[in-house]
Amino acid sequence: MTDRLRPSRRTLIQGAAAAGLAAALPLRARAQAPALKIGVILPRSGYLAPAGQSCQRGVDIAPQVLSDLGHRVEVVSVDFESNVDLARTQAEKLIADGAQVLVGAFDSGGTSAIAQVCEQKAVPLVINVAAAPQITEQGFKYVFRNFPTSVMLVRNGLALMKEMFKATNVTPKSGIFIHANDTFGQANRQAIDRLFPTLDMPFKLTDAIAYDPRAQDLSVEVAKCKASGADFVIVTTRAGDAIRLIREMVKQRYEPKGIVSPGSPGMYDQEFYDGLGGYSDYTITNLPWPNFNAPITKRLGDAFAKRFPQNRFGVDAFNVGFTFEAMLVAADASKRAGSRDPRAIAEALRSTDIADHVMTGGTISFDAKGQNNNIGSATVQNLKKTPTVVLPREAATAKPVFPMPGWRGRQA
Amino acid sequence: MKARALLGVLFALLLIAPAAIGAYPLAVLILILHYAYLGIAWNVMMGFAGILSLGHALYVGLGAYVAAALYASFGLPALLGAVPAAVVATLAGLGIGALGFRFRVNGVYFALLTIAFAEFTRILFDHMGWTGGSSGFFLPVEHGHTNLIALRGPPILFYYVALGMTAAAFVASHALMRTRLGYAWLAIREDADSAAASGVDVFRARMAAVAVSSALTSLGGVFYAFYYNNMYPEQIFSMARSIEIILAPIIGGLGTLFGPVLGSFVLTLLGEGTTSLLEHFGLAAPGAKQVIYGLALLVIVMVRPAGLWPWLARRLGVGRDG
Repeated sequence: MTDRLRPSRRTLIQGAAAAGLAAALPLRARAQAPALKIGVILPRSGYLAPAGQSCQRGVDIAPQVLSDLGHRVEVVSVDFESNVDLARTQAEKLIADGAQVLVGAFDSGGTSAIAQVCEQKAVPLVINVAAAPQITEQGFKYVFRNFPTSVMLVRNGLALMKEMFKATNVTPKSGIFIHANDTFGQANRQAIDRLFPTLDMPFKLTDAIAYDPRAQDLSVEVAKCKASGADFVIVTTRAGDAIRLIREMVKQRYEPKGIVSPGSPGMYDQEFYDGLGGYSDYTITNLPWPNFNAPITKRLGDAFAKRFPQNRFGVDAFNVGFTFEAMLVAADASKRAGSRDPRAIAEALRSTDIADHVMTGGTISFDAKGQNNNIGSATVQNLKKTPTVVLPREAATAKPVFPMPGWRGRQA
Repeated sequence: MKARALLGVLFALLLIAPAAIGAYPLAVLILILHYAYLGIAWNVMMGFAGILSLGHALYVGLGAYVAAALYASFGLPALLGAVPAAVVATLAGLGIGALGFRFRVNGVYFALLTIAFAEFTRILFDHMGWTGGSSGFFLPVEHGHTNLIALRGPPILFYYVALGMTAAAFVASHALMRTRLGYAWLAIREDADSAAASGVDVFRARMAAVAVSSALTSLGGVFYAFYYNNMYPEQIFSMARSIEIILAPIIGGLGTLFGPVLGSFVLTLLGEGTTSLLEHFGLAAPGAKQVIYGLALLVIVMVRPAGLWPWLARRLGVGRDG
């Protein structure tokens, strides 16, 4: 053996020191811990496809953002095609493939079906978007919802209307409620019927008009609104119907002081801006929205802009924000539990307390039923074809414009 | 004889299947058997008696809501609640049938009538507060116990219930086809005027077909309610569900006994298989499955317009009724 190959005393000491240091390091630092396997179920095709794909964009950027925050996750995404039957079988498939937490599913029906499977298999489900109140009233032990119920949505939405009147010193005299006659629209109608009289609203609600969201012609419904003399319109739209509704208002020169939704989709979708151009401006949606002043939201926005340069984070923010948060909640629980065991994660989820998160509202925590009651809403007004937070003041990036300017002078 | 042997083998395989497969294939098999059952129920009306119904989701929904509401409100176990569920659905079916057949609303016009009833029942349930309205009706989750009478338990319980229901509906259909009523249905399906001229009471025979079909379908609804534990009017009474119900018997073979079962197997496995293949090859773009699935259905309908079972039955050398 040559001198060159023989270890010197100094080398031996250095080697021993390195070995000692390595032994002192936690196991996780030496061999990277396996990632938490999150199964995501969304309606990426079928009639809920636009929203499902929007949520999916949040899923696609989540692993990198979570990694920057110190969480390692592996994501398996499946599409339940807006079909409740498939939601159940896809949940079974994800769990059979080793998913330790499920996230989903945008739609209350699909979410309820998935919840059954999660409960049977003792695998936690963190809901990103689903508003049916009963989901967390059924006695599930493995279901956690970081999303407001439809009643919470409407209550927050109505409260923000009052705040807007106060902030602008303008109060309408009478309002009319026009809503889609589907499940979500009817649920909103029931919530408004129940809550409106109890919230001391400063205007009277003269009527409620239901319409088929698939109808191509809303001229009769808009004519009824105009004939009622209401100077404030509350709407619950779904998607394309929001465009048809506003077009008809422009056509009939119906110019209320404001058009406000207490939390429905439609008026902050890209299709709405593309379809209406300048007429999309000044319409308002009161709903949970990312707090763009929060550092984590900026981080998420940067990741979104890098990955999806053709999409606008400001438009996808609602779906992306809640979907990312659901994954953050799951990863945080696994980290605190120090385990990827679904039961241990479920146990840790019960003591969730996340202050630094994306959406407006207080800390993310769950009550005994698995519901987060700290989710706030924001008044999101379309300004220059961009959804912009105008209330509450601490999250606002612009001032509310109310009453809204007339249609004249705007361009489609 | 050969057909019975083949059926026996299939039934035996299905009996032992849960021991050999995991939770996901079991869930898929439950879905297959559920739609096979509903297909058999629909086939009684269209396949045997020639009455086109495009609103069978009505009976699924009525069965589901009646049994679930009785269970949630009065604790009536599912198997007992199935009786009033079937009665309500049968009465609804008889009402539609009487309206249609008495006033000679036939063919596609009768189909439109069935759609109309399903739609306005959906709207009715959307506004019925005590069943949750449009926000849906939910059954409480019960942990850790199995009760066949109440239909509470793990997926394997529902698998055997679905298997039992499908087998029973198959046997009942087979038996019915060999009765005087069954032959009357076939005669009406081929030519109602000739059947009437031959002494068949067309009205009564058609009403009987509607009654049997709606009652059987409602039991499928009871299964749905207790398997999923939640129901929304928009989903359970939807036109899409009615179409899903009729796809299996059309693809499998209208008017055949085994057609709905075969059709359900083919359609569900085609759907799941396409999903798995697309995922495997990294092609799982939204909508890709639907395109492939639609093209596959188009090919099946073009190549085998009478359905898959008559062709397969010939290849296997068994009677087309299986």
